[in-house]
Amino acid sequence: MSGTPGAILEVRDLHTQFSTLDGVVRAVDGVSFDVARGETLGIVGESGCGKSVTAMSILRLIPPETGRIAAGSIKFEGEELTTLSEEEMKRLRGHRISMIFQEPMTSLNPVLTVGTQIAENVVRHLGVSWKQGRERAFEMLDLVRIADARRRLDEYPHQLSGGMRQRVMIAMALSCDPQVLIADEPTTALDVTIQAQILDLMIELKEKTGTAIVLITHDLGVVAETTERVVVMYAGRKVEQATVEQLFEEPLHPYTRGLMRAIPRLDVEADAAGTRPRLQEIPGLVPILTQPIVGCAFAPRCGFATDRCRSERPPLVDAGAGHLVACWELDRVRRTA
Amino acid sequence: MSDAPVLQVEGLVKHFPIHGGLLQRQVGAVRAVDGVTFSIRRGETLGLVGESGCGKSTIGKVVLKLIEPTAGKIVLAGEDVTALKPGTMWTHRRRIQTIFQDPYSSMNPRLPSGTIVGEPLENFGIAKGAARDDRVAQLFRRVGLRPEAMRKYAHEFSGGQRQRLGIAKALSVNPDVIVADEPVSALDVSVQAQVLNLLIDLQEEYGLAYLFISHDLAVMRHISHRIAVMYLGRIVELTDKRTLFTQPLHPYTEALLSAATAPDPKRRRQRKRIVQGDVPSPAKPPPGCHFHTRCLYATAECKVTAPPLLEVAPGHHVACLRRPVGGDPGLLSIPG
Amino acid sequence: MAIVADDLALPPARRFSLWTAIRRNPTIAIGSVLLTALVVIAIFAPLIATNDPFKIAPVNRLRPPSERWWFGTDQFGRDIFSRTVYGARVSLVVGLSVAAFSSILGLALGLACGYFRRVDGFVMRIMDGLMAIPSILLAIALITLSRPGLGIVIVAIVIPEVPRIVRVVRAVVLSIRAQPYIESAIAGGTKNWKLLSRHILPNTLAPLIVQSTYVCASAMLIEASLSFLGAGVPPEVPSWGNIIAQGRTFFQIAPWTIMIPGAFLAVTVLAVNLLGDGLRDRLDPRLARRL
Repeated sequence: MSGTPGAILEVRDLHTQFSTLDGVVRAVDGVSFDVARGETLGIVGESGCGKSVTAMSILRLIPPETGRIAAGSIKFEGEELTTLSEEEMKRLRGHRISMIFQEPMTSLNPVLTVGTQIAENVVRHLGVSWKQGRERAFEMLDLVRIADARRRLDEYPHQLSGGMRQRVMIAMALSCDPQVLIADEPTTALDVTIQAQILDLMIELKEKTGTAIVLITHDLGVVAETTERVVVMYAGRKVEQATVEQLFEEPLHPYTRGLMRAIPRLDVEADAAGTRPRLQEIPGLVPILTQPIVGCAFAPRCGFATDRCRSERPPLVDAGAGHLVACWELDRVRRTA
Repeated sequence: MSDAPVLQVEGLVKHFPIHGGLLQRQVGAVRAVDGVTFSIRRGETLGLVGESGCGKSTIGKVVLKLIEPTAGKIVLAGEDVTALKPGTMWTHRRRIQTIFQDPYSSMNPRLPSGTIVGEPLENFGIAKGAARDDRVAQLFRRVGLRPEAMRKYAHEFSGGQRQRLGIAKALSVNPDVIVADEPVSALDVSVQAQVLNLLIDLQEEYGLAYLFISHDLAVMRHISHRIAVMYLGRIVELTDKRTLFTQPLHPYTEALLSAATAPDPKRRRQRKRIVQGDVPSPAKPPPGCHFHTRCLYATAECKVTAPPLLEVAPGHHVACLRRPVGGDPGLLSIPG
Repeated sequence: MAIVADDLALPPARRFSLWTAIRRNPTIAIGSVLLTALVVIAIFAPLIATNDPFKIAPVNRLRPPSERWWFGTDQFGRDIFSRTVYGARVSLVVGLSVAAFSSILGLALGLACGYFRRVDGFVMRIMDGLMAIPSILLAIALITLSRPGLGIVIVAIVIPEVPRIVRVVRAVVLSIRAQPYIESAIAGGTKNWKLLSRHILPNTLAPLIVQSTYVCASAMLIEASLSFLGAGVPPEVPSWGNIIAQGRTFFQIAPWTIMIPGAFLAVTVLAVNLLGDGLRDRLDPRLARRL
């Protein structure tokens, strides 16, 4: 694959591994994707599929005691990140690439006011005065629509509600005008009404600032409502990539199809007689990543699997209009509605 | 579904005292549950839906008598168990069992799974020794686990399997009611479907009544027959699920429905009625209607008068001053 | 019953291997090897000792280490090697019995405080009071009231150590009580005594064992200090504290009288502490799962 024109972040054949007592975990096993300027890319998958590890790899936040990027390349604005020194990465993080996490309480320092934390980030990266940093912090809190932002600057994280803390995290992440914002399950810990507020805010800010967003989530609903392109991951591998419309119109990988049929739907009226329709299950469990996976990782749970699926790893092929899918039985899957 | 309710809850109140000051005197109370009434029939699932802090989990624990209610009445299979002390409550525990949210912390890590599942059988003197093992093996098979797995410890199972163990344990004493507190929210989507299907199958097979507690509207819609929407300790709307999803009457229900995401890109940007602001603290709920601080239709009266839960149509209860019987069609339609 | 049994793919159970156990947790290995050696020395002291530890021989006073007196002799001409070997008995008996008694008492009180909240306030204030008593003063007081001996020393050390155990056990019980599996067990009809014996007690054992190793080490040190001060075991009994106490006046001309029992004491305490640290890492599942 060659780099897409306009891609700000190019991930190529990324392998990230962890050594544990049970053996080497291949958390990310050859994943490639691009993020274009100003787009929203979703990375979706279930727990253990490697989506968060991919994000941590981009920011080089893999704990060095146990994990490492074993192979592959990550290019940000043409610059190779995998070989940068820790010092250089520190200058990049929170400035040109920033990240927000699932649990805002643990990512904010409990003993510093939110104003101080945002201002520190601005002063560190942009080299402005402390006063300008504070002013920027105020602007950012105002931007993420925190009411009474001037007063909130001097509050501590524990004085804020969960939704408010996530707003502060977003304010901090965007305070230095990053080109890429990586959001790892940013709304999973929040209530539904708050989740809706935060998602709307993120999209609105993206349009205002032109920051590309990589949204990592397990929630297909969040993906459908906020992203433009989607990468589906399973067992450390990319199994499908498409625009959000393509993916939800015609999911092509049996795993993606399985996921979509397994979720209870809020928007589908199917229970007129009071009977509850059965959800389609995906049988079995995700594979154990300490054992090498031969063939397609989904084969043991897949209804379409053949001997070839169990022995040869399927390559990603273009199924039309840039819709990539890694499946040997694509034609059969397509014929089955 | 027979008509006699297996579980009736009337005017249930649970306040948690807040202690403060040098002498640790009571300075206030978290009004976790503030006058809740509902009933569940045999074979029926009543969903309790709401955001964190709305008191839905507290209701589950009070109904199980894991914590004592402050006021109100709990009638289990025709018997008032509200005031029973732990010793006498024990004999009634058989009738009501529970499935927990977190399958990782709800199992003693030091006991083999067969012992955990068989514990209620022993406790209630239903089966011992080999008979107990037989029954446990049966339960394992019924929930889709191999009986050989009885010797394994909780950490050797996956999340979904552990939830199956929890279900087997709850099922072991043939209860009338199962309180399921967020039983699938810790599970992955593909496993969630397996567990929901299992719960539905078991309900149909044994005529179980479920009190199903969840924040997830889609899961709720899938499994429940009737749904109660809660906000800050009170039920704001209670009706059958079809009505709730097609003709919600309470502004909060509307807000919840419009805030929920759906796996359909065409639906994006159609959400219009997103409520702003946060849920107020249950230690200091707003006066009048608790929702008035975030409600799009709130009037001056809403700020002082707490609306009672009224039956506005057969089986459809709403607590809102702005909703006269019949409703205002302008407010009834939800987009999307 | 068309349900898919999904318990197919679980990681294979790891086999226990001594070598990997040692490699993963060298502190336990080192600690237990040293401690085993000391126990062997203590048990077989009569066979190991090269001389009679009690025999006074003024002719041979303050001899430096040699082939005949491996660790030299003291001011009464007694063989320090033999006395040190016998001294291991005193240290181990004191360490182990203090650890055992304070664990049993501490466990009972800690369970009661953590589980029956009504006794908690009362018992814990008593424990706070006991903790404020310095064990050395307590021992001196007890010994002035009765005859000096091993039993009195043990009692004097146990009293202030009990509260430490009670605190640990109580904290563990409180945290376990908050676990959902306890609620799950109550909902499943489990009664009080079974809740305690089956669900709570087994979970307190690991931290209890760890804490009791620290108590054991500290008891050995306190016993040595007491003996050194003359408030411990009677002076004729060879305990490491006594040997050091008697040798201290001759430290400059016969340093072996202090160095050797001192080294034994240090190594023993180190071994017990190593074992404790290793057990703590091993028994805490959060730490054990890490590399």
